[in-house]
This record gives sequence, structure tokens and C-alpha cells, in this order.
Amino acid sequence: MSEKNHRVSRRQFLTYTLTGVGGFMAAGMLAPMVRMALDPALEAAGDSEFVSVGLSEDEVSEEPQRVDFSIELDDGWYSSEQSRSAWVLREGNEILALSPICTHLGCTVNWGTNEENPEEFFCPCHFGRFERDGTNIPGTPPTRPLDVYEVEVRDGMIYLGQINQRG
Amino acid sequence: MRWNENDAKTYQSAKEYVDTAIIPLLPVAGGKEQEEAVRMGEFTSYLTDFLERQYTGRVYLLPPFTYLKEESTEDRLERLKTWTEHFKNQGFSHFLYVTSDSRWRQADARDLGELVWIPAFSLAEMDTNKRQQSIEQQAQQIIPLMTEKWS
Ligand code: FES
Repeated sequence: MSEKNHRVSRRQFLTYTLTGVGGFMAAGMLAPMVRMALDPALEAAGDSEFVSVGLSEDEVSEEPQRVDFSIELDDGWYSSEQSRSAWVLREGNEILALSPICTHLGCTVNWGTNEENPEEFFCPCHFGRFERDGTNIPGTPPTRPLDVYEVEVRDGMIYLGQINQRG
Repeated sequence: MRWNENDAKTYQSAKEYVDTAIIPLLPVAGGKEQEEAVRMGEFTSYLTDFLERQYTGRVYLLPPFTYLKEESTEDRLERLKTWTEHFKNQGFSHFLYVTSDSRWRQADARDLGELVWIPAFSLAEMDTNKRQQSIEQQAQQIIPLMTEKWS
């Protein structure tokens, strides 16, 4: 009797346990499905500002690389594609994506184009200069560092978001 | 800088930095020659837009200088001189004229500034990226002519 009781209780125990495990398994299976179902909504809400620039995380090095991409702009009348560029580089264990727009009067800066200062960003318009991390070099016209894009890494790929001012 | 109110304001406060005027030269024609004129105009605009975007802090992209195809070279040149004089008096020291119209090649514009002629090709079928690339390639030929005067 006691043995039978024992057996039953063990069976019950197993049943409960299995239900539990099954529950976890079901949850594990359901979660991605729920996420997949929700994701488009999430994307529409906030993620859509981030765009892939076709560069993977391991391709980013200390040497700034230029990436060109386009974003969808909606100006109220019609939506159009606008091209953008960024200089992407590794700074410590951070990934920086600098806007190429000179903070003086808006010309486009380039990396290493000034022979005397090959390790800097250079603005051809009034010879503005910036360090590798975008810091403006005193004594040249720009008075603040280059702006930065918000960076996100998704599945090893670089996504860029909005542009923010620093300093 | 572009021909809009915001940039005109910025220009007023940054005049000493903006010393180069870019003027697109666009032929206008109706009828059989319209399509060609439009293609030249569109191409030249893309090109000058690109230049303006790259060098916005130092150049002012002026409205296009337009002329009917039958206007004689002398007349065109005369009017262009008047434009140039006007803006020279306003403080511009470098002038870059960009056109796809081959008839400007006979015009002697040496004392006006740099006149560059770039043959137009159709951009209508290209996607944004491809178009951007081809325009950039063409612009690379013009850029040195402009920047070598800067120092
Ligand atoms: S716009 Fe870059 S230095 Fe003036």
C-alpha cells in the first residue's frame, strides 16, 4: 500500500515535473513566435530609424572607414531617399560612427587627405582638422567635435541611427 | 550654401568664409531639342548639387544661368559677365561655371573664372546609390580645378 502510494506519488511527481518542463519548453518555443509576431510592430515604433550600412562588426578597425548608405526621408509632401555617409572606427571597445559634416560651416571632411596630418580628419574648405575620434583641433576653425551617429550592433552587423552633437 | 532663406542668413554672418560662386549654365529649348536640354540640365544640377554638398561652407551655388539655345555665344557671354561682375562686387573671388552644353567650349571665359564642360549622360534609370557614385566620379574631375585656387 505504502509502496503503491509511493509509486503514485512518484508518478504524480513526474507528471508535475514533466508538465513543468513541458511548460518551459512550450514557453521556449512560444517566446520567439510571440516576438516574431510583435516585432514588426516594435520595428514600426522605434527601430526603423536604424539602418544597416552593410558593414560587419569585425570589419571595423581603428582606421576610420567611410560607409555610404541611404535613408528614407518623409518631408510631408513625398518621401525620398537621401544619401548619407559616416566614418566608422573602433575606439577602445566602443564603435564610433562620425558624421562627415564639418562643425564649422558644413563641408564634408575626409580622413587622411592632408599630407602633413595623415592621421586626422581634414576639411578642405577652411582647413579644419579633427583627431581620429572626431575631437576638433584647436587653432583650426571648427569649435566642436564631429557629431556622432547612434550605433547598434545586430547579429554582428552595424546599424546607424540618428545623429547627435557632442561637446 | 544654397539659394534659400536659411543659407542666405548664414551667408550674411559668414561672408568672409564663402568666396566661391558656382553657376550652372543651362540651355533651354522646346520641341525636338527639349529632351536633350532637360537631360543636360538635370545632369548639371546633380553635379553642382554634389559640389555644393561637399563644399557648402565655402561655395555659394547660385541659381542656374539659363539661355535659349539660339542665343548667340557673344550675347550669352556678355550676360554672364554681368552676373559675374555683380557677384564679384559682393565679395566673391572665385567663379566656377558648370555646363553640359558643348557650345560653351568655344566661349572664352578665361577672365571670368573656371568654365568646366562635362558631357551629360542619362541618370533617370539609375537607383540612388548608382547615381550618387557616377556623379561623384564626374565631380572628381572638377574638384581640383576649384580647390587648387583655395589657400
Ligand atoms: S567648413 Fe570646415 S573648416 Fe570651415
